[in-house]
Amino acid sequence: MILLQVVVSGLLMGAVYALFSSGLTLIWGMMNVVNFAHGDFVMLAMYVAFFAYTLLHVGPVVFIPLAAVLLFALGVAVYFGLVRHMAKGPMLAQILGTFGLALVLRYAAFWAFTANFVSLPDNLVGGTFAIAGLRIEASRLLGGVLALVITIGMHLVLTRTMLGSRILAVAEDRNAAMLMGIRPDRMQALAWGVGAASTGVAGALIALFFYISPTVGESLALIAFVVVCLGGFGSVPGALLAGLSIGVIQALSAYLIGAVYQDVVVYSLFLLVLWVRPQGLLGTT
Amino acid sequence: MLQARSIAKAFGAFRAVDGADLDVTEGEIVGLIGPNGAGKSTFFNCLAGDATPTEGNIRFAGRDVTRATPEEHARLGMARSFQVPVTFEDMSVADNVMVGAFLRHPHRADARHAAAEVLAFTGLAPLAETAARSLGTPGRKRLEIARALATEPRLLLLDEALAGLTPAETRLAIELVRRISARGITIVIVEHVMEVILSLTERAVVFHQGKVIAQGAPRDVVEDPAVIAAYLGHHMKRVRR
Amino acid sequence: MKQWALVLIGFVLIAAWPLLTQDVFLQRIGALVLLAAISASAWNLLGGYAGQVSVGHAVYFGAGAYSSLVVYTELGWPPIAGAPLGVLVSCALALVVGTPTFRLRGHYFSMATIAAAELARIVAGNWKLVGAAVGLMGPPTPRTLADLSFISPVPYHYLFLAVLIVLLALTWQMQRSRMGYYLAAIRGGDRAARSLGVPILRYKLYALLLSASFTAIAGSLYAVMVGFIDPDSALGILISVKMVITAALGGAGTLFGPLVGAIILVPLEETTNAWFGGGGTGITFIVYGAIILLITRFQPGGMAVIWRHVMTRFERRSAAARSTDRAA
Repeated sequence: MILLQVVVSGLLMGAVYALFSSGLTLIWGMMNVVNFAHGDFVMLAMYVAFFAYTLLHVGPVVFIPLAAVLLFALGVAVYFGLVRHMAKGPMLAQILGTFGLALVLRYAAFWAFTANFVSLPDNLVGGTFAIAGLRIEASRLLGGVLALVITIGMHLVLTRTMLGSRILAVAEDRNAAMLMGIRPDRMQALAWGVGAASTGVAGALIALFFYISPTVGESLALIAFVVVCLGGFGSVPGALLAGLSIGVIQALSAYLIGAVYQDVVVYSLFLLVLWVRPQGLLGTT
Repeated sequence: MLQARSIAKAFGAFRAVDGADLDVTEGEIVGLIGPNGAGKSTFFNCLAGDATPTEGNIRFAGRDVTRATPEEHARLGMARSFQVPVTFEDMSVADNVMVGAFLRHPHRADARHAAAEVLAFTGLAPLAETAARSLGTPGRKRLEIARALATEPRLLLLDEALAGLTPAETRLAIELVRRISARGITIVIVEHVMEVILSLTERAVVFHQGKVIAQGAPRDVVEDPAVIAAYLGHHMKRVRR
Repeated sequence: MKQWALVLIGFVLIAAWPLLTQDVFLQRIGALVLLAAISASAWNLLGGYAGQVSVGHAVYFGAGAYSSLVVYTELGWPPIAGAPLGVLVSCALALVVGTPTFRLRGHYFSMATIAAAELARIVAGNWKLVGAAVGLMGPPTPRTLADLSFISPVPYHYLFLAVLIVLLALTWQMQRSRMGYYLAAIRGGDRAARSLGVPILRYKLYALLLSASFTAIAGSLYAVMVGFIDPDSALGILISVKMVITAALGGAGTLFGPLVGAIILVPLEETTNAWFGGGGTGITFIVYGAIILLITRFQPGGMAVIWRHVMTRFERRSAAARSTDRAA
C-alpha cells in the first residue's frame, strides 16, 4: 500500500517535471540551444507565486496565470536579447550564454531574497484527499493534474493548430519555413516564450507544496535535462512519459534508499542514458 | 588495388546501393557518374569508410576494409576530399596541410617540410599563411585535395571536387588531378560535370538506382543507350510530373 | 619579437608582485590569481585546445583537494604528498567518465560533465572518509616545512608561479607538436580530422588526462593553501564555471588567455567580496554572470581577440607611420 502511495506521489511530481521539461524540449528542439537557466526560470516563478500571495493577497487562480505571463515575457526577452545572437556563435558561447543567465538570475534572487527558505501556507489549497486508501495532499493533486492537462494541451496545440505547425516547421528547417512565409525569428521567440511560460505554471504549482529558495533551480535544471534526454529532445510526448517516469523513479529511490540518494539515482540514470542511447528512449537518431 | 563486391547499403527499407561492384587497378583514373540519387555518393562513402555497407565487402591492397574506420583508411593509404569542403577554418592553409602531413611525419620539422612540398605541388604556396576561412570555393577545394595529398595516399577519392567551378578554374583543377595521377596515385572521382569525366577519366562507371549499369571508356559509356535512358528517363520523369 | 618581450616583462612583473606591494591582502590576491590561472589553464587544454567544453571539471579539482587532505587525516602525511594520488584518482575518473562521454556531441557532452560532477559532490557529501558534509581540514599548525603551511601568501605565490610556468611551458610545447595540430583539427571538425587519420578519441583522451592531472594539482595546491575543503568549495558547480569563464574571458584555446582572465577576474571577485561583505550576498556571482553574458553577446573569443585587433591596428599604424617617414 505504501508502495502505491509512493508511486502515485511520484507520478504527481513527475507530471510537474513533465510540464517544465516540455518547455525545455521545445526550446531545445527549436534551435539546438540548451537553456541552462531553465531551472532558474522555475525558481523565479515560485517567487512570483510567493510574492503575489504575500504582497497582493491573491490565490493560485490569479498567481498561476500571472507567473505564466511574466515568465513568457522573460522568455521572449531572453530570446531577443541574448539567444538570437548566441546561436550564431561558437559552441563555447552557446553553452556559456545561458549559463551566465542562470548565474545572474540565481544570484540576483539570492541577493534580493537571501538564502532563507520561504513557503506558501499549507492550507492555501487545503486538505488531504483520501482516495482508495491513499492519502494525497490536495495541492499535489492539483499540481499534478493541472500539469498533465497543460502538457497534453501543449502537445495538441503544437500538432493540431496552424500556429503549432508553423513553430514545428521552423524547428525542422528554418530556411524552408522562411520560403513559406513563416518568420523564424517570431516563431523562435514564441517557442522561448511558451517554454518559459511552462516553467511559470510549473513553478507556481510547485510553490503550493514545496519550499522556495534561490538555489532550487540547479537541481530542477538537471532534472529537466534528464527528462528531455530520456524523452528525446524536441518531443513533448517524450517529455511527458519521461517526466512521469523520473518522478516515480525519484520517489521510489527516496523511499527505498533514502532521500539523500534520490538525486544520485536520477543523475546516474542520466549518464547511463546519455552513454547508451543519446537520442533518448523515444527519440530518433 | 581496390575491389568492391556486391556492395549494398540500406537505410531502413530504402536500398541506396543495391549490389554494386567496382574494380580499380593501380594508377587508373576512374569516374563514378550517374543521375542524382543514383547511389554513387553513398557508394563512395562506403569506399571511404564514412559509411558501412550493409552487405558486400571491400578490399584495398589485399586487406579487407569493409568495416574500417576513416582513420584506418587514411593510415592504409586511402584519402578523400569532401563534396562540401570541410577545411579547418581557423587554421592557416599551411597548418591545414600539416595536419595531413603529420600522419606520416610525427615530427613537426618533417611535417612542415612535407607540407611545404604539397603546397608547392598544388600551387597553394603563396597562400600558405592565409586563414582557410578567407579562401573562396576553388581555393577551399584545392586545399581539401592538398590536405588529403599530405597523407601520402596511394588511392585518392575525390567527391565532386570539381563541381561549382568556372570553366577556367575547372581546367586548372583537371590539370592538378592529372599531375596527381602522374605521381602514381590512383584516383576515383565522383563527378557530374561531363567535361571533367570525358577529359580526365580513363574509365567511367555509371550508377543508376543503386546498381552499376555500364562501365567503360567515357566516350563509349556516354553513348550507351542504357545510360542515356537512365539520365533521360530521370529527366522525363521530372518533366511528366 | 615584440610580443615575447611583452610576455617576459609581464612575467617579471608577476614575479615581482609580492615584493612590490607589502600589503598582505594584495599579496594574497596575487597568489589566488596564479592558482586560478593554473586551474583555468588546465581546463583550457581540454576546453580550449580540444574544444570539448567541460562544465564539470570540479570533479578533478576535488579529487586533488580531497586526496591531499585525506592522506593528512588518515596517514598524517603532509598534504602535498597527496598530490600524486590526486592526479591518479583524477586520471582514473577521467578515463571512466571521459571514454563514454566523448562520443557525445556539444551540449550533451557538457551536460554529462555537469551531471558527473554533481554526482561526485553528492557522494562526497555522504562519504565519511572524506568528511561528508563537514569536509576536511589540513594541519592546524605546521609540523614541518613539507606541510607548506605558511602565514604569508608570498611562498604560495612563488610555488604557484613555478607550477604555472611548468604548465604553460608544457602547453606551448604541446601546441607546436603533432598533438596541438591534431587537437586543433578535432576542434575544426571531427569528420575531416578522421579522414586525415587523426585518432580523435585517443587525442581527446590525452587532452583530458593532461587537463585532469593539472586540475588535480591545482586542487591539491588549493587545499594546501586554504587548509579546509568541503563538497561545495571543492566540488561545487561554481568551481567548474569559474574555470570556464576565466579561460573564456582571456581567450579559450590561447596560451595566455586563462592567465589574463585570472588577472581580471580574481581581483574583481576579491574586491567585490570585500566591498559587499563576503561571498554570502551573491553579488560576486551576479558580476560573474554579467561578465559571461557580455563576453557571449559581444566577444566570444575573449580578450585574446580584442588583443589581436589592437595589435593589428597598432602594427598598421606604425607601418603607415614608417612609410610616411620615408616619403617625407
